[in-house]
Amino acid sequence: MQASRARLFKEYKEVQREKSADPDIQLVCDDSNIFKWTALIKGPSETPFDGGVFQLAFAVPEQYPLQPPQVRFLTKIFHPNVHFKTGEICLDILKNAWSPAWTLQSVCRAIIALMAHPEPDSPLNCDSGNLLRSGDVRGYQSMARMYTRLAASPKKG
Amino acid sequence: MRDVEEKNGDEKIPSPSSRESNGGHCPICLGSFIQESYLDTCFHKFCFKCILQWSKVVAGKHSGVQSSVKCPLCKTDNASVIHGFDGASFHRHYISPRNECSSFFTNAHKYRLKCYYIESGILNEKFNVSRFWKLKRYCQPNQWLQCWLTREIQALIQEEDVDIIVHHILGVIDSSLRRDDFLNQKKPPVVKQQEFRDLMSEAVRPFVAARAERFVDELELFLASGFNVKGYDEVYTEQLGWKVPGISRIVREEEQESDDEHPPTVLPLLYISDEDPDV
Repeated sequence: MQASRARLFKEYKEVQREKSADPDIQLVCDDSNIFKWTALIKGPSETPFDGGVFQLAFAVPEQYPLQPPQVRFLTKIFHPNVHFKTGEICLDILKNAWSPAWTLQSVCRAIIALMAHPEPDSPLNCDSGNLLRSGDVRGYQSMARMYTRLAASPKKG
Repeated sequence: MRDVEEKNGDEKIPSPSSRESNGGHCPICLGSFIQESYLDTCFHKFCFKCILQWSKVVAGKHSGVQSSVKCPLCKTDNASVIHGFDGASFHRHYISPRNECSSFFTNAHKYRLKCYYIESGILNEKFNVSRFWKLKRYCQPNQWLQCWLTREIQALIQEEDVDIIVHHILGVIDSSLRRDDFLNQKKPPVVKQQEFRDLMSEAVRPFVAARAERFVDELELFLASGFNVKGYDEVYTEQLGWKVPGISRIVREEEQESDDEHPPTVLPLLYISDEDPDV
């Protein structure tokens, strides 16, 4: 508990110090609970998520960093490895390939990479996975782009 | 659609090490290193406690005994963690609990390693090192030397397979001591001794580093003693007042049967007579 708190505090300071280092990621700690974080990540360019801003929720376990944080999308996203309803993410480094050398910041980078490189063979969103697996990339992209516009685009005005 | 595919290769896959590896901070706790330690294969650095905790977490996830831990930074398999190093010595923590009390690193190895922490030269009188050189006892081959060397190197570098090193050292000893040509025979014992010491410490330095000089001290002691390994251990530990389990019990029994007043005499001795035909 103490160790995870100390480490999260280090990460917090690092995030404050390098706020502009990665313009695609904005990581914010909950005001009252250092185990709860949210992140805003920009959809990678040249993907159907381009132009969207996606919100992630982090729930950090007390054994962190020996255990991975639980991360899910709060913003709706059409992606084979993200559960359409719950926002749960299927990503090896958040499960058995976790290493304590990952940080919340680097997890965000991994999720951005996953957005750009979906793995249709281990889908949480079968509709999305099936489109890609059947070779209908255009269908996948237009669906994903539509949801990016609907759910992830910053409201104007 | 092909465009996306082609670009895949160019993009960097994020890795956990990208930011943390450059600073003086442990990649696990992100704090300054406490008890710096290295993994034995990839040499990545962590706090000893941090990497130990992580190896336990990994072991807990698998059924059966884990013999290695994957480096959190590079995923290389590592069998042990090197810690507590001070330039001359180090400790090695094996991931596999079996290795911890493994067949090769016995109490005898521990006792030998411990000897390197005591002051040198305490036993020089006991084993009469100067006499060894004066009487040219080195001309006589020592059939127990290989056995002693193997254990000594195993203890010092904490590796089981030391055959190559032992053969190398044996070769150097042999060429230094026993190829006694005409020129050498005229050298005074002190010169001969110093030559041997210089040659030996150079030969073993690559393997035992800062302990080279001390290793030569111990080697001299063993050669001068004329005992086999068991007898040497017995006299050595007795001289220091140590009780090492698993080393001296058998000899002790022999002692009790025989006359208690001269314990070393029951031990196998290489140099049967103190007389030397050359002197």
